[in-house]
Amino acid sequence: MKEEKKDDGVMAEEKPYMFWIWTLASTIFRLFLIFSPENINLSSRPEVSTPHTSLRRLAEGYWLKQSSLSPYAGSMYHGSPLLLSILGPLTVQRIEGQSSHHLCSLVFVIADLLSALLLRAIGQKLQKSYRMNLRPLGVLRSSQDRGILPCGDIAALVYLWNPFTILSCVGLSTSPIENLAVIVSLYGAVTRRVPLAAFGLIMATHLSLYSAPLVFPLIFLLGYGLDAPPIKKFLQTRHGGVETGSTSDVSKQEKLTPTTQLPFSWRTVLHFVFWVLVWSSYVLVLCSLSLKQYGGLEEMFKRTYGFILRIEDLSPNIGVFWYFFAEAFEFSRNYLLIIFNLYILLTSIPSLMFRLKHRPCFLAFAYLAFTSILKSYPSVGDAALYLSLWALFVNELTDMEYSFFIFCGYIGFSLLSPVMHNFWIWRGTGNANFYFGNAMGYACFQFMFVEKSVNAMLNHDQALKKATAEMTKNLAITVIF
Amino acid sequence: MAAVNRDNEEEVKTDDGSPKIKPRPIVRLGIFLIAHSPVFSVVFSAAGVLALLLLPLLAKNTYISENALMPGSARSMLSNRDVSDGSKLVKDIKNFRLNHEGQGVEVQKLIGKYMSDMGAEVSYQKFHPEGNQFHPLHFFSGPDSYTLLENVSCASYGVNVAGIIRAPRGDGKESIVLVTPYDFINGGDYEDLSLGIVSSLFSLLSRVTWLSKDIIWLVADSRYGDYRPVAAWLTEYHSPSFKVSDLLKCDEQNTADNFRRAGTMAAALVLKVDGRSEKFEDTLSIYAEASNGQMPNLDLINVVNYLAVHRQGFYVKVEKVVSLLSSSWLKIFGEIFEAVGKLAHMLNPDWNFGIPAADYLEGSATLASSLYSQALGIPTGPHGAFRDYQVDAITLKVSPRFPPDSKTRQHDFFLRGARLLEGTIRSVNNLLEKFHQSFFLYMLTSPSKFISVGVYMIAFALLVAPLPMVAASLYIDGCKSLTNSTDNPTENFKSWKWLDAAKQVFTLHLFGFIVTLLPYFICQVPGQHSPTNRSIMWGTTSSSLLLITFVTMPGCSPFSSRLHGTNWAILKSVTISAAFIGLCLMSIINFATAEIGALLLVPTCLMAQPIKPALRSRRLKSLLGAFCSIVLLTIGFPVMFFAISKGLLGEGLVGLSLGGEFWTWLESLWAWKSATYLYIGMVHLPCWLLCLCILFHPS
Repeated sequence: MKEEKKDDGVMAEEKPYMFWIWTLASTIFRLFLIFSPENINLSSRPEVSTPHTSLRRLAEGYWLKQSSLSPYAGSMYHGSPLLLSILGPLTVQRIEGQSSHHLCSLVFVIADLLSALLLRAIGQKLQKSYRMNLRPLGVLRSSQDRGILPCGDIAALVYLWNPFTILSCVGLSTSPIENLAVIVSLYGAVTRRVPLAAFGLIMATHLSLYSAPLVFPLIFLLGYGLDAPPIKKFLQTRHGGVETGSTSDVSKQEKLTPTTQLPFSWRTVLHFVFWVLVWSSYVLVLCSLSLKQYGGLEEMFKRTYGFILRIEDLSPNIGVFWYFFAEAFEFSRNYLLIIFNLYILLTSIPSLMFRLKHRPCFLAFAYLAFTSILKSYPSVGDAALYLSLWALFVNELTDMEYSFFIFCGYIGFSLLSPVMHNFWIWRGTGNANFYFGNAMGYACFQFMFVEKSVNAMLNHDQALKKATAEMTKNLAITVIF
Repeated sequence: MAAVNRDNEEEVKTDDGSPKIKPRPIVRLGIFLIAHSPVFSVVFSAAGVLALLLLPLLAKNTYISENALMPGSARSMLSNRDVSDGSKLVKDIKNFRLNHEGQGVEVQKLIGKYMSDMGAEVSYQKFHPEGNQFHPLHFFSGPDSYTLLENVSCASYGVNVAGIIRAPRGDGKESIVLVTPYDFINGGDYEDLSLGIVSSLFSLLSRVTWLSKDIIWLVADSRYGDYRPVAAWLTEYHSPSFKVSDLLKCDEQNTADNFRRAGTMAAALVLKVDGRSEKFEDTLSIYAEASNGQMPNLDLINVVNYLAVHRQGFYVKVEKVVSLLSSSWLKIFGEIFEAVGKLAHMLNPDWNFGIPAADYLEGSATLASSLYSQALGIPTGPHGAFRDYQVDAITLKVSPRFPPDSKTRQHDFFLRGARLLEGTIRSVNNLLEKFHQSFFLYMLTSPSKFISVGVYMIAFALLVAPLPMVAASLYIDGCKSLTNSTDNPTENFKSWKWLDAAKQVFTLHLFGFIVTLLPYFICQVPGQHSPTNRSIMWGTTSSSLLLITFVTMPGCSPFSSRLHGTNWAILKSVTISAAFIGLCLMSIINFATAEIGALLLVPTCLMAQPIKPALRSRRLKSLLGAFCSIVLLTIGFPVMFFAISKGLLGEGLVGLSLGGEFWTWLESLWAWKSATYLYIGMVHLPCWLLCLCILFHPS
């Protein structure tokens, strides 16, 4: 988080080669951490690797599978069978003289790099559309795009240099791959490569169930196009823009569609749905082939999605559910499970969807941030993903309130978490309440972060509306005289 | 606190436009506090210091919280026969030593034979007295990461003897440990006495039927210090290394028995006898501080204290800073508090908080010692090794009032010492679960008085409360002045103005982190260097690094032109926030360090302001402020503070020898994995540098 702010400053100088230098530096830094002789046992930290993403569990699952047992036997592994086939062989291979898992770490570094590059591409698209949307509104009349930050570069560097990302990359957790899948789906939708978007979505959902509702932002993205101010404001602008004749030819295509409704391209969406079906059946077939002798798909669903939804592992993590379900009575457990799982789905999706349907990428951010607070096994890798998606909107979110306070809170609670864990587990002078209190504080700050970001975005749209109204009024006056 | 304040800071901004909305009372309180932050910061800081001085008054009497302990309820079963067993061992050892000069292993054999005669399982453990080495990442790892040295020499190694009595009523899953450090080669007469006490007890315990926890008697080879042998034995006990140690080969005698274990440890008692008591009674000193200010459960101290005072008639004491007892200013405080207490008692007979000035002095001296040893983070005895494995342990140092060769008094002394230990063991034996009922976070003001975490945290909270307030008010000021100065609205990042300052703060913290790690690399430099040379190396590398930082990142330097420099109010606000986070974190890890650090850092951070405008204005008030901040910054430099505290203790140090002393001191800190070292390098030093940047800010 701290690095992220630093990079903001660096990128504001707008030197194109700086991006590559920082990218290279981040890669070297990761490699240094991976190959350094010191082992600070990041992979056993509850903040970094959860029962769902831990590579050590994956290695265990692979070992079970090699000895002709079900990889899900013994409640150790709960991830995807495909990931097991890809990463599993790497966990046993050793580079000479080094301990195992180094090859997997290299895969994670590559995944991080790819994610960063895709984020950059997404950011460049968004920046272009932001410029196109603002130019006719007259906000950028005087200064030629000077105020616009290269949000793609910023987001990519935020992703690469965020301590959370580095921790989850070095700490042998599979979240870099999950993050990559999510970013691939967004990239596919932003660049309108429908099969790619569908593939990303299916892979993300397959790896972690919580990515499934991303289908809504993706459909909006494919149907309505990129993030833009809401349509009503546009219609007003179109009026003013046509009169002055100052619209650029690019924006003309979009603006001159004479509808009062949002244009929604059903064809692309149907295309997307088709590809989703294709990919999902493909993934299911692969999984069933890989698990043929061990109980097939049913076993997989029970052990992966069931494990996520039923919150079976109550070992401490930075989320808020483990403590609750450790305390809950057995007979009310099912009821509470239903309530909590529906809570995530029902509180976040519909309300955000209606307020933010004109900004699908931002909707994806808000949803991911929301789930990373309330999911059953959250880790810092989830925070890394939504923080970098947030950085895609630095231009829109310049007026975000409480920024310094939230920043301090994030730093304070992320540093406090290992201290509390040490207090509870190693020193024995604290107890579970200490660690859970820290998790609650962290969740509060995350909530505040999401709420303030959404607020800032809505305020930004409001401000644009005001500016547009003023401009049309001025234009009208000039026309009259 | 911070949340409320920061809340309001935004609230103030929004309220400018629409004053009609009436904010909630708590918000209004926050706004009020922020608006008058200079007054309140003085009030709160003064209250924090006052609360610290009041702590001895607020100490409560200890009480035994766990009912199962029932100390002193059973009659002691120790008989004269057991004591004569102990006396016999002492006599035999003395005779043996007279006949065989310098044959340590033989003495160990002798003790081992005694143990097995009493029916205990005996095992010998060899360990290498490896010196503590600085390793940067060992701060973050548990005690398990102890690695076996590759090439050990046979020239020097120690041998621990451990005897285990199996409990007749137990299942072998729990144990109580007795430790007697003993120097096998040149142990004095007093050390023999400690063996005598424990062997008397051991002889009793081998017969009794009520034991439900196994008893381990560890005779630690204290040739290489008290701590190291106990730590080595504990490491072997908890995380055995499966490599065959080279030590096993280098011995003519076969002491390579199997290492024996006896379940988890419920408690450990370290017994030492040394020196002659100055008092009329035998004196018992209790040492409890383990690494990083961790304390054993208060119940353990309570049991020992209760039995020693009420059953065996020892004079019990805990360590205190003797020089404070004669300090006149503390005496004045004590008298004032006494007078206030008397006055309050006259007004309302129920108010009984006053204590006599002499008690106050004693209490403060003990509290100061408690604070000091907790802040240093170095354990005060071999019991510290147990705390790393979550075992509650204390060291009991008994000073008899007779000379060691007095046979007549020895019997009585053994009887009382062994009865004290018997009672304690009997209490711990009653426990069904770990010690958990009483406090872990406390400080002692006397053996029977303590201050719990809820009380002493108030002093700290009051002391750091001004930090978020001042940070919020400075942030608002800084934002206002920035908004006025910038003209381009599109480039105006309304809520991200703190980014530049955060960058500077982050860079200096990174610098602090590197400086903290530097000694590791300096220790790797080949060749023998004196501490002075090493400290010079450290100083030059750090300062050249700092120069490089300032040159490459002009925004960070205090001497940069105005263009690069950030607004000082915002910089100070971010600095103060960083200091606040650092102090709060440290207060959880090690309260005493945070308290002492806050006494230094809080005034420094609050007073720091640019010196140039003060000089230009030539007003008395601002000149005084600048002078204060310069003085505080001078004291706040870690080396300077070290020199001053040494000077207060009466050891004047100047010039290069100071550097050497400082290096040695730090070396001891990191060798014990003290978090204080991390605090100095990663919180105190960067904040101090930032205050320096603010002082020389070109505004």
